[in-house]
Amino acid sequence: MAVSTFKHVKICGMKTSIPENFIDIDDELQYFDNNSKKLTRQKKMIGYGRRYIADVRTTVTDLACDAAKKLMAEMSIKPEDVAMLIFVNQKPDYPEPCDANIAHGRLEFLKTCPAMQINLGCSGYVYALWTAHAMIESGAVKNCLLLAGDLSGRMTDQTNRKIAPLFGDAASATFLSYSGDERAATFVIGSDGKSWNKIVRPFGGTRLPLDKNTIDLQFEDVAGGTVKVSDGVINGEDVFAFTMNVAPPLITQTMTMAGWVTDDVNIFAIHQANKQILEMIIAKAEIPAEKTPTDVFSKYANNSTNSVVTVLCDQPRERMIDKAVLCSFGIGLSWGGAALDLSGMYNGGISTYKTPLDAWTREEQMAYWSQYFKGNQ
Amino acid sequence: MTREEFLTEMQDVLQTDAELKFETVLADLDEWDSLSIMATMAFIDKNFGIKLRAVDIKAMNLIEDLAKKAGI
Repeated sequence: MAVSTFKHVKICGMKTSIPENFIDIDDELQYFDNNSKKLTRQKKMIGYGRRYIADVRTTVTDLACDAAKKLMAEMSIKPEDVAMLIFVNQKPDYPEPCDANIAHGRLEFLKTCPAMQINLGCSGYVYALWTAHAMIESGAVKNCLLLAGDLSGRMTDQTNRKIAPLFGDAASATFLSYSGDERAATFVIGSDGKSWNKIVRPFGGTRLPLDKNTIDLQFEDVAGGTVKVSDGVINGEDVFAFTMNVAPPLITQTMTMAGWVTDDVNIFAIHQANKQILEMIIAKAEIPAEKTPTDVFSKYANNSTNSVVTVLCDQPRERMIDKAVLCSFGIGLSWGGAALDLSGMYNGGISTYKTPLDAWTREEQMAYWSQYFKGNQ
Repeated sequence: MTREEFLTEMQDVLQTDAELKFETVLADLDEWDSLSIMATMAFIDKNFGIKLRAVDIKAMNLIEDLAKKAGI
């Protein structure tokens, strides 16, 4: 397990953007055999509520750049002020190049500002935050804009009921800068690559490309349901056991490494996998429920890479958070904990991204590329 | 925890309206699904310090079997 402590990095501000469209679980009674008792029971146990789903013209880069532009305007950060861009997500706009480059261009950053991508899901924000801290503390760059997010809502077939009701879309921007004053940040990070297939989207990469031989394939799953090649799959029981083994000790270890006890902490921002899992982590880690939001899952669902940011941005914007513990875990399998001093941080809250009227439709993209291939773009 | 308390707790763990008895067959409950199995795992772990695997719980027949595992 990598344990790192940094002393000269300030998290200056963060902001989350969500799409306009949402689905309420109460409107999906048809998926519960039209049985409101079934729906109510699952709502109570898992915490199903509202999830925001991007439309087909919106990508994670659109959401993240929206958050970045708003955050930079609100904090008076100019494009030329930004020394480095990191983007962490798992569902890119294009197979190549990476979204970090696309965002770099759209945000009009200087050519002297490097842009790089990290490919991780639920644990990804803590990994990227750790990377940004290391880059700044080492003196490699004086500040960093960190974009994070995912499209687990939009990229899940909404009729896939094992997964769809759990996920919503969100992305964020976080600005970090060198701090002359000491402020400690502690990270505890780990991976278990042998469990890479516990949360997996098997098709669509180079190992099993989606082509005319595979595109219509369907498989039967353990419960007699159907798995399509476009589906992501979660081995629920194994991932649940992993979570219970990893998350509670991760919280304890992160606090211990930071020299904190539970009383010191203002907020535990835990990956909002679902309400049942959150409540079990709270019980096992023996942390106070009143300091550990679980309702963010019901308000925004599981936002994958952005989940812990959604928790922080959902706090009252004027609330000062001196000490926050972040705990993230998931695909990889991988996990990361962070003990952060967020005093003086600007909380930009959660803002709605409205799809611009001129956002590319699929047809317009096809037209663009057909002209591009002819050398007309 | 008494045996009666165990039954009451299980009622809440499974979120079922069915009246539970020790001889209740788990598979007969509409609510005996993966959610309930995970909730049961957590309940037994938290209250009795016994870690059961999902496959072990799935293999159980009666509420009584769960109680025995918990040492009740």
